[in-house]
Amino acid sequence: MSSAVTHGASGLRPMALVWALALVAVALIPWITGSTFHFHIAIMVCIAAMATGGLAVTAWVGQLSLAHAAFAGIGAYTSVLLVTRLDLPVLLGLPAGALVAGAVAFVIGAPLLRLRGVYFVLITFALNELFRLIMLEVPEYSGGSSGIAGIPKLSIFGLTLSSYEAVYPFALVCLALVMGLLVLIRKGQLGRRFGAVEENLALAEASGIPTARTQTLAFTIGSAIAGFAGAFLAHYVGFISPETFGFQLSVSYVIMLVTGGRLALWGPLVGALFLTPLPEFLRGAVEYQHIIYGVVLIAVLRFLPQGLAGLPAQLSRKGGRA
Amino acid sequence: MSFLIAQSLINGVILGTLYLLMAIGFTLAFGVMRIVNFAHGEFYMIGAFCALIGVTWLGLPYPVTLALTIVFAILMGAVVERLVFRPFRNDELSGMIASLGLAMILQHGALILFGPDPQAFPAMVSGVFKWGALIVPKSRALALGIGLVILLIFYLFLMHTRHGRALRALVQDQEVAAVFGVRLEIMYPLGLGLGIALAAVAGGLMAPLFGVSPFIGATPLLKAFIVVILGGLGSIPGAALAAILLGLIESFTSSFISASAADIVTFALVIGVLLVRPAGLLGRAEA
Repeated sequence: MSSAVTHGASGLRPMALVWALALVAVALIPWITGSTFHFHIAIMVCIAAMATGGLAVTAWVGQLSLAHAAFAGIGAYTSVLLVTRLDLPVLLGLPAGALVAGAVAFVIGAPLLRLRGVYFVLITFALNELFRLIMLEVPEYSGGSSGIAGIPKLSIFGLTLSSYEAVYPFALVCLALVMGLLVLIRKGQLGRRFGAVEENLALAEASGIPTARTQTLAFTIGSAIAGFAGAFLAHYVGFISPETFGFQLSVSYVIMLVTGGRLALWGPLVGALFLTPLPEFLRGAVEYQHIIYGVVLIAVLRFLPQGLAGLPAQLSRKGGRA
Repeated sequence: MSFLIAQSLINGVILGTLYLLMAIGFTLAFGVMRIVNFAHGEFYMIGAFCALIGVTWLGLPYPVTLALTIVFAILMGAVVERLVFRPFRNDELSGMIASLGLAMILQHGALILFGPDPQAFPAMVSGVFKWGALIVPKSRALALGIGLVILLIFYLFLMHTRHGRALRALVQDQEVAAVFGVRLEIMYPLGLGLGIALAAVAGGLMAPLFGVSPFIGATPLLKAFIVVILGGLGSIPGAALAAILLGLIESFTSSFISASAADIVTFALVIGVLLVRPAGLLGRAEA
């Protein structure tokens, strides 16, 4: 599946240009409309796309994590505690969040990743729950069930990004960095190793790929990205609690990833872009939002196993056959 | 002290029986269809609403309501199998992700129909049984009694009927079972329907104790999940052992330490078991 995606991209250079232009046009929407609300949505898309991008890296080695929200939470709490207690600048808090989340993933990764398929999903589900319960037990650090409010806003070199319009360019840059990292991994040797492990673990092992180390590496990178996104979210929204990073958030990352395309390079971006603004078009019908999420998820699984990102390829293949 | 131990023991067994009702359906769905059903808790919630509608809106007797709940849940299981799970028969991971979507649809569907507020359920019985210092509320004893009867009926069905044997054969080996004439088109919906019916009836039994709201499915799902991991995915005897064990652990830790400690202990136990023995306490190892 991964080879099909890369082939499609290299064979369709003009198409890639069209997509890139479309992406730029979408990114410009808030500036065109000038609406604060659109800026907010666009920022939320960036954060969701970053987090889902992290989930994608783990998915590339064939593992689906339901503990992704917990790693976002680890990043968020790390950054918030460093900034509020040790007066570190936010700009250092964000990478620190990524670092700690990645370190935790690295330490627990090796034993966890021996489990595969649904067993890995189940143990990460249990871990996410354990994270929430433990955080509730240490209110002096986590704020307990009432959480931590009044978190310092994002700031760059002493310049506080107090307005939505100021945060958005920074969010775009961060998203570009994360997507750039994903492209580098995917197009490089590491990406081929990930693909080999995902497609056939035994064969990869037999071909001399250190599969356990490869999976731990993917899990570490993916969780570090989650930590970064979580820290960004915390400083943008200004409030976090252990409940923020519960099962529901992990599930929504999985939904975005699967909807966008589990193995597609641009899947996380497409998924976040499609699903984050969706509820906003249904204002007044907020209860229907989750039902629509559920229906979209099941329909995509059923009819678009490669996700929305695989839709053009799927259509052109159908067209070619007809 | 010995009184506290005896009281914890009784509470633990009551909890364990209810967890078992939830866990058997969950493990059956995995054993028969290889589905990890994250929507299982929502069927508990639906069962509770069925009971509420039957008893307070329609004025039906409680036992009749429970029987109707079971029938409704089996039918619902068949529909859900056809619409949601059938395309993913050979794809465990996609089936599981689909169940996450199903859970969202069911929970928020209930939210739209019934609103977010918890609804009171009329008490079926009142008063307590007392033996010396030991106290068991009659409402809990009733839930325990009906629960045990249903488990017994289910056990007899599984061990002594043709369909029950077919289900057990499917859990052991799908292909061999199919070769011996077990019809998958019937057994898959039946297996899922029965599992869902057990969850729904647990919801109906618990409604008088804990009330009804669209969000009550989460905790029973977690408990079923813990029990099934401990006992081994797909193993019914494992689920029975683990359910009683979990009931006792929870009841003793919350009597002697604290309720939140009980949760952390059980989740740590779950992670430990998954790491050391992913097949569970009584499950078969998988290739």
